[in-house]
Amino acid sequence: MLLVIEQLLNGLQLGIALFLMSAGLTLVFGIMQVINLAHGSFYMIGAYVGATVAAQTGSFLLAMVAGVAAAGACGCIVEVLVLRHLYNREHLDQVLATFGLIMFFNELTRIVWGRQPLYMNVPDGLTASIELLPGLPYPTYRLAVIGTGLLVALALWLLFAKTRLGMKIRAGAANREMVGALGVNVALLYTLVFGLGALLAGLAGVMAGPILAVESGMGESILILTFVVIVIGGIGSIRGAVAGALLVGMVDTLGRAFLPAILRTILAASTADSVAASLSSMAIYILMAAVLVWKPRGLFPAHG
Amino acid sequence: MTKKQMTIGCGALFLLFLPPAALLGGEPYLISLGSRIVIYALAAASLDLLLGYGAMVSLGHAAFVGVGAYTAAILSYHSFAAEPLFAWPFLFTGSNSGLVVLPLAALTAALAALIIGALSLRTTGMHFIMITLAFAQMLFYFFVSLEKYGGDDGLSLPARNSLPGLNLGNDSHFYYLCLATLALFLLFASRLVESRFGLVIRGAGNNNRRIRGLGIHSFRYKLAAFVIAGGSAGLAGALLANQTEFVSPGLMHWTLSGELMVMVLLGGLGTLFGPVLGAAVFLLLEEILAIYTEHWMVYMGPFLILTVVFAKHGLFGFLTGNRGKNG
Amino acid sequence: MADTLLQVSGLNKSFGAVPATNNLSLTITRGHIHALIGPNGAGKTTLVNQLSGDLRPDSGIISFAGRDITRLKSYRRARLGIARSFQITHIFENLTVAENMGLAICAGRGHNFRFWRHWRSNAAVARELPLALKRVDLHERADMAARHLSHGEKRQLEVGMALIGQPQLLILDEPMAGLGPGGTVELAKLIKKQKGQVTILLVEHDMDVVFSLADRVTVLVYGENVATGSPEEIRGNPLVRRAYLGEEH
Repeated sequence: MLLVIEQLLNGLQLGIALFLMSAGLTLVFGIMQVINLAHGSFYMIGAYVGATVAAQTGSFLLAMVAGVAAAGACGCIVEVLVLRHLYNREHLDQVLATFGLIMFFNELTRIVWGRQPLYMNVPDGLTASIELLPGLPYPTYRLAVIGTGLLVALALWLLFAKTRLGMKIRAGAANREMVGALGVNVALLYTLVFGLGALLAGLAGVMAGPILAVESGMGESILILTFVVIVIGGIGSIRGAVAGALLVGMVDTLGRAFLPAILRTILAASTADSVAASLSSMAIYILMAAVLVWKPRGLFPAHG
Repeated sequence: MTKKQMTIGCGALFLLFLPPAALLGGEPYLISLGSRIVIYALAAASLDLLLGYGAMVSLGHAAFVGVGAYTAAILSYHSFAAEPLFAWPFLFTGSNSGLVVLPLAALTAALAALIIGALSLRTTGMHFIMITLAFAQMLFYFFVSLEKYGGDDGLSLPARNSLPGLNLGNDSHFYYLCLATLALFLLFASRLVESRFGLVIRGAGNNNRRIRGLGIHSFRYKLAAFVIAGGSAGLAGALLANQTEFVSPGLMHWTLSGELMVMVLLGGLGTLFGPVLGAAVFLLLEEILAIYTEHWMVYMGPFLILTVVFAKHGLFGFLTGNRGKNG
Repeated sequence: MADTLLQVSGLNKSFGAVPATNNLSLTITRGHIHALIGPNGAGKTTLVNQLSGDLRPDSGIISFAGRDITRLKSYRRARLGIARSFQITHIFENLTVAENMGLAICAGRGHNFRFWRHWRSNAAVARELPLALKRVDLHERADMAARHLSHGEKRQLEVGMALIGQPQLLILDEPMAGLGPGGTVELAKLIKKQKGQVTILLVEHDMDVVFSLADRVTVLVYGENVATGSPEEIRGNPLVRRAYLGEEH
């Protein structure tokens, strides 16, 4: 039982990282109708800059600010220099150009930081574990990540539900033509939304730094998971991003943790382990396929 | 003779005489580079059927290359280990004969394309792109988890396939096998896009709503095109496995799907022959840039972006004035 | 003599709280050109979408040639003989004129899983293509990509495609929209040429066109059929004059 709670927390933590990634990206998809493969690059930039600043200054807080700012700034620059020219182009052009961006950023990080992965220390004060329940210690840092993620989700909800800017963004995601009709400076709004998305991705990147190795190409594995989240949740829908991120986070984590044990009850141990390894790595994609068959436009489609 | 025919003719002559020329020039390495180019050209041209004609932006084409490659490798692994691949409904211990392996590789990839296509083609646009990418990634992880066949580390082929009358261990023989396969595919595909089927695919790619208005249920045509393209990519995969005598999940990594797309775009979308040129230019650029810098991608990326933003019709269009079917 | 081709009864469709089609009944007689007029926002396109199967009504019955088609999908209706052209030109821009027409010809003839033979060598295409191009005066444009046609020619192509396969009912949704005076005259002539061979439901703003072509006219206001009659009757109907024509003239 304690193991289940621990894994649920791990699943929540993956879900939160995925939510930070997909919240921004789903808005970019929904509002600008542009497919952006380079979103993972902002995650990577956040992680690299964060790791570097943390190593230089020893302050995780500073690292976080720097990583998030760098990712957000990169996002705005990329939007102005590249993405802006792609809004009215075909999806194929967008895929290719943003693929070019990935090549560029991945190689650039190799030039600047080398081929060896960077490792980031868990911030002081968060290195210990907290005993959540008797017999259930859980790393404080991971709890902090979960807490931060929940706070950001709350802040996003406030932004979208309570502010004028948020309402404009939501209106834009549900109906693109409306943004122009509302008399909004569309170009600025697009840059802002894109920058916000990049910033959130950067935050996810910095927070992943002490848990994962910071390396070139790290953005793409989470990018593809993010796509799965968006497909499940529905393009342009924040609610869908929340639901999709939690579903994917839980299914992936719990599948990896418990499928071997479950399968061992019905199969021979060696068969069970290899089947479980295959199944658990494919679980979220099978989940996606199931959602597709059931609701091709995702659980919470934003467009009618 | 039109400019297009001349360009294709020149290309064909060049490819046809590459092995003797390379041997004469004392650069036999060029033959295996040539094989690689021809194999990737096959994969890229098959992707062009989807991208350029049916407007199906599949970002998972490498998965089918990988499935074909693994089929070839697994069949030959079992054949050399004399270990049954399956015992029911009949005993099958794999095979190393190209006559068995190549068609089976294409069939397996086509089957994978049938399943993935049937699910993905329920959607369009951005959904389709993300879903094809996700399913390709699923196959990637599936092969990573296949410990029996090397998992992450991949699987070596004991030898190249055998074919009556050819010695595929000989690079020139192997090169001509690849070239003949490519030529057959291009012949088939260029007939295909001008057939009734091709007309429907092009129509659906151009304006799917209108196709429905005509009373055509485009899903099954698109699915058939997806299966044909997937099967052809599988064939390319089997050839690739033979060429390097090694397969690994890296073959179906999504960056390879992206690179195949780049080849199609570089050469010219919706031209079939363009992607052949695109594959050649991409792989040669990679070879040449790698001599000068290990960081060639940092130049390739912006080059790609500029190509997308400014040059829409690819090299083939530049050479022939042919802007492709959907240009 | 009154041979009913299309019968609509009690049709309702609303978007949210707004009724776009309001308890609408309508009868179209075989062989007629039946015009549908009404001010902007009267729900003409909504009605047409329900007739063609692109939109599902909330309630009501649509029957075509005696058969209930209310629940049939658009492509099934197309097979039964309902052809439509769209308000926004809907052709295959990247295909040539001949390919556009060829696709329309192939569409009505079984499956298209023919992978090897050139589409032009299909017997039906070889037989019908020249006639079809000629019918809408596009035979000289056959090998031009459709996106290079003039606006009026695109309309001609669209009507030509809709006519292929001898549909029983042709729905023309504002065919004159965006055409210059010359184009309008050409297209009106073309439509007149089809009279008697095919039943036409003509949705149109241009009153001169409507009154010169139509056998029957239905006036739609707020999704309701407020009057149906011969052009003379409609012209003389005080209700219609007030509700609609008054605004126009």
